[in-house]
Amino acid sequence: MRKIFFYEWKRLIWNKFFFGLLLVLLFYGWQVLTGRTLLGVSHTAPFSPWSFGDYVSRMLPLLWIGTLFFLTFFTSPKARRAAVLTDAAPMSPGRYALARCGAALAGCVLLVLACLAEAAVFYGWYFQWYAWQTLIFPALLTLLPPLVFALGSGWLLGRARPWLLYAWMLVPFLWNVLPLPEVFGLWNGAFFTEYPLTLDTPDPSFSVPAALLAVQALLLAAGAALLALKPRKASDAAEARERSRLIS
Amino acid sequence: MKTIRLFPLELRRLLSSRFTWLVSGLTALSPLLGFTLYKPADSTTMLSLFLANPSLAGGAAGGILFGLLTVYELDKAGRSRVEVLTDAAVSPLTTALTRLLALTAAALLTLAAVMVIWLPISQSRIGSVFDGTDYVFAYLLFMGLALPLAILAAAAAYQFTRRMDLSLVLFAAFAFLSLTVWADDWQLCWLNPSVWAMSDDFSNFRLFRSVAYMRLTWLAALAGIWTLSYLCIRRFGKGLLGSLMLGVRRIYRPAIALALLACSVTAWAFQPFYDQSNPDLSAMTLDTLETADGVTCSGRAADVRPDLALGTVQGTATYQFQNTSGQERTVSFGIDPGYSITSAQANGKDVSAVLTGYQESNMALLEITIPADRDIELVLEYGGLPKDWNIMSTMQGEPELSPKYLCLESQNMAPYLLNVAAPEDTGVFPAVIDITLPEHMTVIPFGPSDAEILEQHEDGTLTWRYETSGPGSILYAGDYVREDIQAGGVTVQFYYGRKHQTIMEQAKAAEAVREVIEYCTEHYGSPSFAATGSLKLIQSRVAGGGYATTGASLLDEADFTANNLESAEKGAIPGEVMIHELVHQWWGLGNMFDDSDTASPWSSEGLTVYTTYRIVKDLYGEDYAKEHYVDQWQTAVDDYYQNFYVRNPEYLSSLPEEEQLRISNSLATMRRYSEMPLMILKAEQLAGGEDAMDQILYNLFNRELDWSYPYLTYQEFLDACGLTEEDLSLA
Repeated sequence: MRKIFFYEWKRLIWNKFFFGLLLVLLFYGWQVLTGRTLLGVSHTAPFSPWSFGDYVSRMLPLLWIGTLFFLTFFTSPKARRAAVLTDAAPMSPGRYALARCGAALAGCVLLVLACLAEAAVFYGWYFQWYAWQTLIFPALLTLLPPLVFALGSGWLLGRARPWLLYAWMLVPFLWNVLPLPEVFGLWNGAFFTEYPLTLDTPDPSFSVPAALLAVQALLLAAGAALLALKPRKASDAAEARERSRLIS
Repeated sequence: MKTIRLFPLELRRLLSSRFTWLVSGLTALSPLLGFTLYKPADSTTMLSLFLANPSLAGGAAGGILFGLLTVYELDKAGRSRVEVLTDAAVSPLTTALTRLLALTAAALLTLAAVMVIWLPISQSRIGSVFDGTDYVFAYLLFMGLALPLAILAAAAAYQFTRRMDLSLVLFAAFAFLSLTVWADDWQLCWLNPSVWAMSDDFSNFRLFRSVAYMRLTWLAALAGIWTLSYLCIRRFGKGLLGSLMLGVRRIYRPAIALALLACSVTAWAFQPFYDQSNPDLSAMTLDTLETADGVTCSGRAADVRPDLALGTVQGTATYQFQNTSGQERTVSFGIDPGYSITSAQANGKDVSAVLTGYQESNMALLEITIPADRDIELVLEYGGLPKDWNIMSTMQGEPELSPKYLCLESQNMAPYLLNVAAPEDTGVFPAVIDITLPEHMTVIPFGPSDAEILEQHEDGTLTWRYETSGPGSILYAGDYVREDIQAGGVTVQFYYGRKHQTIMEQAKAAEAVREVIEYCTEHYGSPSFAATGSLKLIQSRVAGGGYATTGASLLDEADFTANNLESAEKGAIPGEVMIHELVHQWWGLGNMFDDSDTASPWSSEGLTVYTTYRIVKDLYGEDYAKEHYVDQWQTAVDDYYQNFYVRNPEYLSSLPEEEQLRISNSLATMRRYSEMPLMILKAEQLAGGEDAMDQILYNLFNRELDWSYPYLTYQEFLDACGLTEEDLSLA
């Protein structure tokens, strides 16, 4: 399984999509950092968890898209055609799928680390500020649940209909535009700009209401559950169709 | 030729695709977003709400959709594994060009359909102020040009990368940047032009020009990038570099790409709409220039000839100087940064006019050395496209010069004399202004004087003349109607756009004006204009604010709109800019304030904003006044003092210079417009309530003036209230 994981992981990151995506993310991230984060959000420092959370929530749509594109490596018609061979591997389809999802998650983590490293460079460069450990929790809270959910839901959708993955990529744009209730504030970043203003101190320490934590926990659980869903025999109907097309 | 032959076939193929119809259909629906989710134009004029917002939303959503369609279509052959066959039949270069044309044609057809579908809807929502020209330009520029830009960007991304996933990510990031981080930069926001308001009653040509300029700059840039990507289209099994080497063999191709990119960079760098004024708003270089010793100005005249089709101004300005120094002297002028001096003559001889390159407060510093003669007549020929102040780039639309509306302010009108005083015996120097405009335009000098027709020309224009005094003057002209209102013992000459007549009547604007004047007269005493017996109240094109001078105040057209009439919250009397600018006739003009210390919060704005609040409280009720005034002041004060960089100034130097200045610039505005009104409100509470404060202000307004220093000072205010500075501290 480890061999397959590393094989798939290398396949995902050793290609021009990954490097192109990385460059786009870094460029976009730098624009956000110098154009928005630099000013600080809600009267807090640019290196406060609130401003940093705003930065990562602005990066989330592109990371979401990148994660789903990683899945297209496994769910595209081209990959399905190769599935005839890969399914012959002496491993259960469930474990194979898990290895692939793990590889996609690892690719996504690399992208996230690049964004975080860019922020660290930015903070060091502009403010000589290096207390990065204070930013780990907001980063995990903001990014982990939606990205795991993207992986789980994308895996399911991509196996049902590959084009659904492309439609699913638009979701973060929608939740950025739609007036979501406060409890979903971590999805569109509104939490980081609005919640500190409700706390009556100039530099409030980072805290999250239980309701938002619950929503993120549910999202994470839903993503993990979707990942854990066993694939149907012979992968799924779409794959079966692809195979029958090949045979005919 | 092959491209032309293949184009109808490709277009037919494209139009037979269900995805194309889906994209076109969604694009046609996308202006709906402008009514609900995406409303970048925040003014309340009808055209902002029901034309700008839908067309901007249509442009943003349609651009994204057509970008997706482009990537989908370009990837189709590869996805279907027929690329080898199609490339054998038709050169991939020809295919790329044909596809680009077909996609652009599909976008144009969609735009045409959108314009037809939304015409009756816009007409019905906008009502009597609907204008066909505005409609066509808004949809063409705000929406239409977004589609080819998106197609070019997406196609270039695909042709460079040859991967659908990567090109979609590239395109998404490019679009997202425009919608978020770049949204406040009028030159960068390629997908969503920076439009904050459209005028209902007058024209919007300046706004259309700057949006068109931004779009064309990007069109050249993206066409250049697309041409580069065209050279990289993979051929003969070669990679990106190999194909590029093949592509550049025909030298005209890279030459076209470079020419387009050079055009866009040049257009970017030399944009003609915004100046390079010193971003430090506290800079006083032009106000503190060394006076030309021994030189006085006894009069000036200007003959101004605006070209309303081009939005430019040409003029001749004449200055009468007396030079008693017996030496050459340098006189300084502030001219519009968009103007150039084509000729400068002193007593009939050429003299050099040097633009120093320094710009401040929307003025470029011009220096002219005048000869040692005792009497000098300096004649300057000037002209160009007036530039707006760079701090206004997110509020595009000024200065508007068109056959429907014109506003020329000081340095837009003629070079503004900076360092020469009037003769001591007169104190001010007279000025005579001639202006030639189409005969349908009413000319309204912003001040007590009136314009008279001097000459009628055969081409349907009239030359108007009015007399004023001092180094600068302001003039409004347009399709105005005038209504005279008797209030407070004076006649208010109320000028507003002809298209607005119905709204003004429905809004009972005349009654609102009368109420404000009577409120102030009753509470504070006779206005400053009572001596002349009249006041001009002029409706300006939507500007988000106004100003006042002796005998004239402005009214923003957004004060009275059909949309405001429907607002139950405000009742039938909106017009808060009008109230504010009318109140300035009491505080600022009736009673003067020493504004020389820009850091001081005490200015005419404090009492004016406070009085506006009191009038609004009377008109709309306590809750409305608290929400829209007191709470807003408090928020502005809190925002400023809680700002991280204000609390931690040691970090301020980390910011780019313009951000540092933005924060320091906001201090003066916040202190005068928010902090001081809050302090006056506190004084009202400490002094015993509204009636007590009214009596205090009445006494101050009618106090005996010391003519050596006639200004109302903060100390006088505190003394009148029986309070100290510490009492009013908000800390």
